[in-house]
Amino acid sequence: MGGADLIGKSVTRPDALDKVTGGRGYPVNVNLPGMLHGKLLRSPYAHARVRRIDTSEAQRLPGVKAILTARDVPQIPFCPVYFVPSDGETLIRDMLILGDHVRFAGQPVAAVAAISEAIAEAALALIDVDYEELPAVFDPEQAMADGAPQLHDGVARNIAKNPSFEFGDVEAGFAEADHIFEGVYQTQRVHTCYMEPRVCVIDCDRDGHFTVHSSMQHIFGLREKLAYALGIDESRVTVMKPPYIGGGFGGKLDMGYIEPLAALLSQKTRRPVRIEQTRYEDFICTTRNPIKMWLKTGVKADGTITARQAKSILDSGAHATHGAQVIMVHGLFGMTFPYRCPNKKWEGFTVYTNNIIGGGYRGYGAPQGCFAVESQIDEICEKLGLDPIEFRIRNALRKGDPHPFNPAWTLNSYGYEEALRRGAERIGWATRKPAGSSSGVRKRGIGVGTQGIWVSGCMGFPDIYEHTGAIVKLNRDGTADVATGTVDIGSGAITALSQIAAAELGIGVDKVRLVSASTDTVPFDAPTHASRVTYSSGLAIKAAAAEAKKRVFEIAAGLLEANPDDLEMIDAQVRVKGSPQSSLALTEVIRVAETPFIKDTLAGPRPSSPPQYKGTIMGSSSLAPPENPSPAAAMFAEVEVDTETGQVKVLRCVYAHDLGRLINPNGAEGQVEGGIQQGLGYALMENLVFDQDNGACLSADFLDYKMPTAVEMPRVIESIFVETNEPSGPFGAKSLSEQCVTVPAAAIAAAVYNAIGVRITELPITPERVLRALGKL
Amino acid sequence: MALPELKEFCRPQSAAELSSVFETYADGALFVAGGTFVHGLEARGLLSGVQALVDLRRMGLDTVSADDRGWRVGATVNFTRLGKMPGIDAPAFGALRDALACPPPQIRNMATIGGSIAASVPFFDVPAALLALDAVVITGTGVASRELPLAGVYTGLFTNSLAPGEYISSVFVPRPAARTASAYLKLETNANDLALIGVAVRVTMDASRRISDPRVVLGGGLNATHIRSAAAEAVLKGATASEELFQRAAEAIGTEIKPMSDHRCSAEYRAAMGKVYVRRALQRAIDRLV
Amino acid sequence: MKKTLVLTVNGERHELQVSADATLLRVLRDELGLYGTKRGCDTSACGCCTVHVDGNSVYACAVYALSVDGSAVTTIEGLGNGDRLDPLQDAFIRAGAVQCGYCTCGMIMSARELLAGTPKPDEEQIRHAIAGNLCRCTGYTKIVDAIKMAAGS
Repeated sequence: MGGADLIGKSVTRPDALDKVTGGRGYPVNVNLPGMLHGKLLRSPYAHARVRRIDTSEAQRLPGVKAILTARDVPQIPFCPVYFVPSDGETLIRDMLILGDHVRFAGQPVAAVAAISEAIAEAALALIDVDYEELPAVFDPEQAMADGAPQLHDGVARNIAKNPSFEFGDVEAGFAEADHIFEGVYQTQRVHTCYMEPRVCVIDCDRDGHFTVHSSMQHIFGLREKLAYALGIDESRVTVMKPPYIGGGFGGKLDMGYIEPLAALLSQKTRRPVRIEQTRYEDFICTTRNPIKMWLKTGVKADGTITARQAKSILDSGAHATHGAQVIMVHGLFGMTFPYRCPNKKWEGFTVYTNNIIGGGYRGYGAPQGCFAVESQIDEICEKLGLDPIEFRIRNALRKGDPHPFNPAWTLNSYGYEEALRRGAERIGWATRKPAGSSSGVRKRGIGVGTQGIWVSGCMGFPDIYEHTGAIVKLNRDGTADVATGTVDIGSGAITALSQIAAAELGIGVDKVRLVSASTDTVPFDAPTHASRVTYSSGLAIKAAAAEAKKRVFEIAAGLLEANPDDLEMIDAQVRVKGSPQSSLALTEVIRVAETPFIKDTLAGPRPSSPPQYKGTIMGSSSLAPPENPSPAAAMFAEVEVDTETGQVKVLRCVYAHDLGRLINPNGAEGQVEGGIQQGLGYALMENLVFDQDNGACLSADFLDYKMPTAVEMPRVIESIFVETNEPSGPFGAKSLSEQCVTVPAAAIAAAVYNAIGVRITELPITPERVLRALGKL
Repeated sequence: MALPELKEFCRPQSAAELSSVFETYADGALFVAGGTFVHGLEARGLLSGVQALVDLRRMGLDTVSADDRGWRVGATVNFTRLGKMPGIDAPAFGALRDALACPPPQIRNMATIGGSIAASVPFFDVPAALLALDAVVITGTGVASRELPLAGVYTGLFTNSLAPGEYISSVFVPRPAARTASAYLKLETNANDLALIGVAVRVTMDASRRISDPRVVLGGGLNATHIRSAAAEAVLKGATASEELFQRAAEAIGTEIKPMSDHRCSAEYRAAMGKVYVRRALQRAIDRLV
Repeated sequence: MKKTLVLTVNGERHELQVSADATLLRVLRDELGLYGTKRGCDTSACGCCTVHVDGNSVYACAVYALSVDGSAVTTIEGLGNGDRLDPLQDAFIRAGAVQCGYCTCGMIMSARELLAGTPKPDEEQIRHAIAGNLCRCTGYTKIVDAIKMAAGS
């Protein structure tokens, strides 16, 4: 098999064999000769000024090779987010590698490199830090009040970012409405829980060039941020692409403290330095920001939305990091875009507090918005006696509509209605009972949550990289090496991209290899994030493969005495279209290209083939995708609520999604099933909690931070893939990854309402909250 | 498992060797068996000054025997082996079976009966079941030995009445009377959790459904230690089993518990769930007799 | 103070000097270079470090190395036979149970113990047998499928 018929086939993951036998490729396994081990000393205080640090005793500990404090590191304020230009005009650069102002419990104040982790750890205990404790604030609304402790100079009321927008006339819209609904929706702080900890090994050579191994979702982003924070040229940093990493989900989309500190420790010691985070350190280095959303919607009696107004407060923690971007995505994709409504107004606040910093997490602001918007729609339908499916379809955008994000684009493929209707049919929506009507202690309910407009990458976003590239090179044995900066974070990028390359080239997927790469050897690539890889990287790889194929055809055309335009490649054979007997093996074409111009035969030297055929057959690309097509998702959940304990059990999920074109069915199902695990955890149990007196994390290991095991997951998860064939996508594909995390909380909340007749508007929906809502506590 | 002051990992093979280790390290010695919760205590700042870990598993404390009086189970017998004790399938041991099924296999294969008791963690499952079964703890010090009822071991959250240098050598589980059943129920967030609350009950019931010798054990955060509810047991004793009776027994725990509030749930919720779980556990036990 | 530790790992005898606080996980990874056993949490809750000690699955991060002196340890590298994969490894590939793969080796070790004692487990037995192993990618669906596939059930 080779060619376009590879698309839509569940091919085996090329990386699976290695992973089931041990998995050598994880960054956590990188081990260099002479490597030192680094550890960070972290502040126990949530808000403090470092008066003095005495490292002398630690310096004397045998085995300690270097110690860094604020005065040893560049004081260049930076933003750690990988996908934004470091020098962007509006970018908030509010972090230092090490500084004397501590803003969250766990912020590093010093770093040690030693010959073993144990010695480095012991050295930390010998560092004496004199802190001046400052008043701290942990609640964003309190942080916005007059007189609250100020976290950053010149940031009034701790508001790091305050975006707003208005379309139409909201007041007129509400005046036009027959009913007005208002609600407040609160979401919590959760962690991506990638299983491989963040780790880096950095080696600074004698010329001051840094070679970086790190578990992250973006090699070029790390190169840029590291160079910026160190104040050096990017060309002095080489970031190696790991063969794969142990999960990311957005949690590895920003430079941590460990990378610049390992780099500086290596520079100082002239030895490679490795820093591996503990799970506690992982829990406090990235989170999905909690958002509180006030949402008001006006509707006519027939269910037409006339106006919508919202305010969102995002708890950014000690630094802005992703919070400045998340708030925008939340406002636009979480609230504004999914439904047609002529009058909309929104204001968002990204607010500094002394909580831990936020990060990226699948959905990036949308889950918080989706929970609010979809919960309110469920309430509207319930109160007005409207069917939630029909209400949504009435107000949804449709294929052919202008894209709400960029009216210059059209929704050329958009299967929202089909996803919703097919999902409803599968779950048995018609059999759904009125809310709270089932009898007995354990009550069942069905609910739906949807997300209309979402992304396939970041094309069109201000100050977010999206261009990407690839190099496709054919080997003499007929295989293709594909080099790209795209990191496989577990989502199956290697598989889908191999399929796309193989399909374009007309060779078997087993003939394609995603090869090693680094920032030195491949074109710039945006991160593995924003549901972008299949669409954007897929387009770049398809383009590079097409260029290589074009070269094959140029050579083959000469050999076959045909026109290049008349050739096709199927099953590694170059054929004249319509005359399959006139064909040439791909390996033969490559042999012609790669053999010396003069061949030494037994009869003496002879020209082998014309010089213009010579040279490695390859293609490359570096491009930005033309558009940002929207997927669409609808999820249905069936739950059982124990009304004596408040426990919610999710029995069954049906998830329907328009992904344009299915590249790898097994891989796509896996994305959905895993997304639902994360969405279910968000809905029901996951919560990073902190001591409200001192900001200490109380759920910094998996004993306290609970996520679903195999036992809590529904026994049935059904995926429905709607194929609308996106014209701009590689083989018609667009995106999948994030919506399956975005919609479950709304669907589960609606199902809980349907079961017990009481609505819960704060996540997670813990048994205690359910019982309280039922009036039993 | 960072214990910054740790110097030695000791593997004594006799009581005499153990005594000598204890003489060297005294309060700096921490006795361990499976060691599965050392990190849990350490991460919560509950272990300090540990200089020696003393592994009790080579002291021959892993024998089991069963006779008419009951089981004698060596302290270092792990949960997996405990689950294979002769007669454990009987309704009377239902609570123990329930409790042993709670932790994941990786813990069951390491955690020991003695360790689960000595850790003095009210959120553990197995001690609740053992309390309901009237387990007796036999301890040693190298020179002396004593027996004390399990109920007498706990003195507070993470504390117990074992003297310095004293270790659990075995646990005696008396043979329950005929027509006895027990059950353990746990409230947890996921399948690998410490109990938010845990309730173990035991009842003996005659043909006319009259209950004798009941046990109601409350664990999780219902109190700083596992406790027996005398009030609930008094309601059950001599009464005829019924849903209504179980409800009354459940209500009776209210005066005895001192539930804790923490980041996992509130005292109020724990108190309410204690009642639901007592009723449900009693029903589960009774169901094992019919 | 370091002490002598004798371990038979995947059939090969090793004699090592290890410190009191060394966990089995550290010894396997740092001393023996067996990278298939992963550190995910170091607090016996994620299951990435699951190995077998004398045939029983344990969290290697919660086992002091010296406590298992003299034992036989099996890691993922010890499964299968030469180039022939263990049926579970093969089933994990075929079922699509591998995504980021970081939990995979521990998951397979847990499943191996289950199948050793219960050759034809039902779905609930499978789910409870892997309840001590967290996965963030797959939602466990295809992992359960793979274990069923390997068991032929």
